[in-house]
Amino acid sequence: MEGRGDSILNTVERYYKDYGLRARELRNEGRRLTGYVCSFVPLEIITASGCIPFRVRGDIHEPITTGDTLLETIVCPYYRSCFDLSVKQKYDFLSGMVIPHGCDSMVRSFSAWSYSLPFPYFHFVNIPTVCDQSSIEFFSAELNTFKKSLERFVGKSITEEDLAKAIRVHNENRDRVRDLYEFRKTDPPLISGTELTRTLTVGSSLPVDEANGLYDRVSAEIKQRERSPVKKGPRILIDGACLDNVELIKLVEELGGSVVADTICNGARDYFPKTDIGGNPIDALARRYLEKVNCPKTYRANRAGTFEGDIASRFGDTGVYAKEFKVDGSILYLYKYCDPFGFEVPARKAYYKSINVPLLHLEDVYSAGTMGQLRTRIQAFLEMLG
Amino acid sequence: MGYVLGIDIGSAYSKGIALGDQGTVDSSVCPSGGDLKLTAERVKEELSFRNGISAHDIMRTVATGYGARSVIFADEVRSDVACHAKGVSSLLPTVKTVIDVGDLYTKVLRIDRNGGVHNFLLSGKCAGGSGRILQVIARVLRVKVEEIGEMSLKSKKRVDFNTGCAVFSESEAISRISEGVTKEDLLAGLHRALAAQINSLVERIGVEPDVAMVGGGARDLGLVKALEEIRGHAILVPAEPHLTAALGAAIIGREQLKKKIES
Repeated sequence: MEGRGDSILNTVERYYKDYGLRARELRNEGRRLTGYVCSFVPLEIITASGCIPFRVRGDIHEPITTGDTLLETIVCPYYRSCFDLSVKQKYDFLSGMVIPHGCDSMVRSFSAWSYSLPFPYFHFVNIPTVCDQSSIEFFSAELNTFKKSLERFVGKSITEEDLAKAIRVHNENRDRVRDLYEFRKTDPPLISGTELTRTLTVGSSLPVDEANGLYDRVSAEIKQRERSPVKKGPRILIDGACLDNVELIKLVEELGGSVVADTICNGARDYFPKTDIGGNPIDALARRYLEKVNCPKTYRANRAGTFEGDIASRFGDTGVYAKEFKVDGSILYLYKYCDPFGFEVPARKAYYKSINVPLLHLEDVYSAGTMGQLRTRIQAFLEMLG
Repeated sequence: MGYVLGIDIGSAYSKGIALGDQGTVDSSVCPSGGDLKLTAERVKEELSFRNGISAHDIMRTVATGYGARSVIFADEVRSDVACHAKGVSSLLPTVKTVIDVGDLYTKVLRIDRNGGVHNFLLSGKCAGGSGRILQVIARVLRVKVEEIGEMSLKSKKRVDFNTGCAVFSESEAISRISEGVTKEDLLAGLHRALAAQINSLVERIGVEPDVAMVGGGARDLGLVKALEEIRGHAILVPAEPHLTAALGAAIIGREQLKKKIES
């Protein structure tokens, strides 16, 4: 991807605004792009098949219209927005769509996707809800089924070498994202939360090797910076599901906070865990996606036997990030009707209390129109943190 | 030291306080209307004109409230959470829990005696549990919003209200009127339902006495009594509860000014 102007971040902004710009070019060159949602689709298998994984995102500026004639409004507004844009042909360059069991809405609406969109390829990945040895075995078999369905679609077999190579390049991608997160550790951070989330969002619309190149260029540019783009202020962790529009982060930064960490699906939840190298690649992928991606969708047994032990094991990664990135407070930002996150809000609040990190819980409807209403709460929270 | 202005542009009413060296000099209240920039100017003009304050006598202006960013002449914008805390602690220093019933939201604040905020919680994004329903019901009953508190206290047989949503409450009120209930009983029921909603917000954040109620909703004696009845303890209400955010904004402005002069 070639940029205009002197800064790679200007290019990022352009690709962020015109999401899918590069994908359209690739499609015109004859490449096959496979859309996906959620952090549970093993992208390595898509890459190994020769297709390009493309993260379908929503748009908080676009009112949900056609989508609501095909999906009920009990589905969370984020997912409805992704669906709405798809049926309005925003992603008509895709050749297929892969949806995992990331939440009940994804399961129940899969058929609506498959009969409302004209793509030749659809696949539903069944993700176990628990994390036992039997679930890993089941999930490995399920991933083999996914692999076979892609093989049929592209008309060639996916070898172990293809998979090993894809695992390596996706791990490299995660290493680069980790490097970008390192820039958040200074106070104030060298990279703003808005810049980082924009960069990662654009990255998820590119072939993984191109995303790696992009992250390298962003890293090189940030390294040259002498000053932070944001003023020193309370250091904020954003906790929640997928945040693929930067407006909330921008608002926090406008009001004087620095977004320095997150647990979001298009952030740490997805990019921090890596796939183990060596051994059977499908088994390694099964372990990475089921055991290492920490999402409330997966039930993890209470091994400690106490409430305190349970919340420490379920949300411990948040505490680790809070320490590592020297967080002053956290904003738990959830979409209305998001059941997986909604159910565990009380436990999550208790966890924040136990680690002594102040928390602001916001519920929103995935619309730019509600940002003004969040302003007061965020401003008051930042003032409280001092 | 001159004057400091605190201006609170709410969604229903805009409030202003002029603070002099010896304390509050004057206050001003007007409906916010559709042009918030103009409203902010009007509040300032009124305070200036009535008290002979010239532009260069105004040392600092701090704006707060939903429309704070429309106060283009403000030196600073602060959240109404911080301003209420400051305002209440200056008037009622023993208060640790503040309930602000505004037009758009109800907020509950846990504060210290210096006006520092320890925690806060707002009602949901819709008007359920906010003061908006008081204006709606006054319009339905064709009475003044200032009168509904007294009327409600005269109720002999409070009706049970089932809905928490401001829009549905209006339809429920209309159907009760058609059943022939009195305005007094209807208002008592509505106050009880609103107080119950506010109380659940209060319970979620936890209470430390003393408890104060502020905002336009606290001018409604019927609502204050209903909440006292549910909670089983007295609730303090400052003399002009709708002005505490504007007062707090002005106090914050004065503190900043002092700091500046000292440094």
